[in-house]
Amino acid sequence: MATDEHPLSGFLRDVTAQAPLGSDDRATILNLPFKLRRLDAGSYLVREGSLPEHCGVLVDGFAFRQKMTGEGARQIMAVCIPGDAVDLQNIFLDISDHAVQMLTKGTIADVPRAALQEIVLNRSTIGRAIIQLTLIESSIMREWVVNIGRRDARERIAHILCEFAVRLEVRGLNPSQGFELPMTQEQLADATGLTPVHVNRVLKGLEADGLIERRRRHIHFTAWRALQDVGDFTRTYLHIPGEDQLEVAFQARP
Amino acid sequence: MTDVHPLGSLVRRWSKHANLSGDDVEAVFSLPFTRRTFGKDAYIVREGQITAECSVLLRGLAFRQKLLRDGSRQIISFHIPTEFVDLQNSLLSVADHNVQCLYRADCAIIPRQALTDLSGKRPAVRIAMWRDTLIDASIFREWVVNVGRRDSKARIAHLLCELILRLQKVGNGPEEIYDFPITQEQLADATGLTAVHTNRTLQSLRKDGLIQLTAKSLTVLDWEGLREAGDFDELYLHQQI
Repeated sequence: MATDEHPLSGFLRDVTAQAPLGSDDRATILNLPFKLRRLDAGSYLVREGSLPEHCGVLVDGFAFRQKMTGEGARQIMAVCIPGDAVDLQNIFLDISDHAVQMLTKGTIADVPRAALQEIVLNRSTIGRAIIQLTLIESSIMREWVVNIGRRDARERIAHILCEFAVRLEVRGLNPSQGFELPMTQEQLADATGLTPVHVNRVLKGLEADGLIERRRRHIHFTAWRALQDVGDFTRTYLHIPGEDQLEVAFQARP
Repeated sequence: MTDVHPLGSLVRRWSKHANLSGDDVEAVFSLPFTRRTFGKDAYIVREGQITAECSVLLRGLAFRQKLLRDGSRQIISFHIPTEFVDLQNSLLSVADHNVQCLYRADCAIIPRQALTDLSGKRPAVRIAMWRDTLIDASIFREWVVNVGRRDSKARIAHLLCELILRLQKVGNGPEEIYDFPITQEQLADATGLTAVHTNRTLQSLRKDGLIQLTAKSLTVLDWEGLREAGDFDELYLHQQI
């Protein structure tokens, strides 16, 4: 993040990509009250069962949604990237049904829930854009059910790497052909329903097959198309702004 | 009017989500819609199609699914009457998954534009609609956990608990579901298991004295035991609101 950038500018870009906001609407978002917090990796932003009073916007750093089973196993359900609001669903759900934790250290802007409720209620374009953001998250969640439910380990890992790369790219955060994966192998395992040992083996296999190169946490895609193929990855479920509209135009051809 | 109008049960459910005024209710009842009956296994929505309408399930059961390239299927959620099966498509332009009927289903099909207009003009309705999609999302998250980190027995028990609690809302139960319409193959597709594994798991839940299962019905013999076996906590269904 450029230091002179408004902390909510990433969020504003994300919202604006969903619906054409007028200057009034844009000002309304930038004028939302917020408090900045610096957080360490592992800090909780939201706890399961809590009554949310704030909605956190990730200014920089990465976070993840997770739940623990009764046996203490952890499942990661989503990775939040800079610009994401981590608990939009809590604007109108009263009890948090999962926890959100920082994946890396980072900065969060806490926006009062009531302020967001008010703009979603009173400004229909912002309301629509924010609702769309939650609908896209929901689509990603469905894809994760499929990924874990019906794909093998190699497909699962390849799929999650592709998804992460495309999401970063859309947000303008992925300058080259690769990215810094902010997740440990244990966290990748928790996101794919595998064991860390299994994840390690799969990553080595992808590397041996010339699909990725790794230097510490940096992942470089040496065969992007082939990796997407291995992961059974098609990006339609991400509902990338502009791409759905392109599909509509395509199908409407005479 | 809520008793006779086909969307009456939807309005009653939405009234628990948001403070709908008389005008809001009137606006919902003024929505244009067509009734359509779908046969068993029929598709209500197909992946990749441009979304022109949304469907409220009036009778029957439906499920969301995606098909994989190897022909396998993952069921992503079940839907019961009074629920929209594809409300996200009121704002998303391309369907990202399929919706299929579990058995004969009756739907009220509403043009997408009419729904976006309604939610644009009526904040309380917007909130009610949004809450529906947020609760859908919460269920998807729980299903990620279910397939990702629970063993086969807990997965099946968890799914049964969810289905029973939700079906109770539409007049089944309390703990016995006659006409349990879900096949073992569908249970398998909803839990990421094989049909054989699902069958074995159901037998094991039966042997533990938790359920009784016939071709036509499912009876829960020990609700607390089934909940415990399924690591089930209904918080994620957000039914308290």
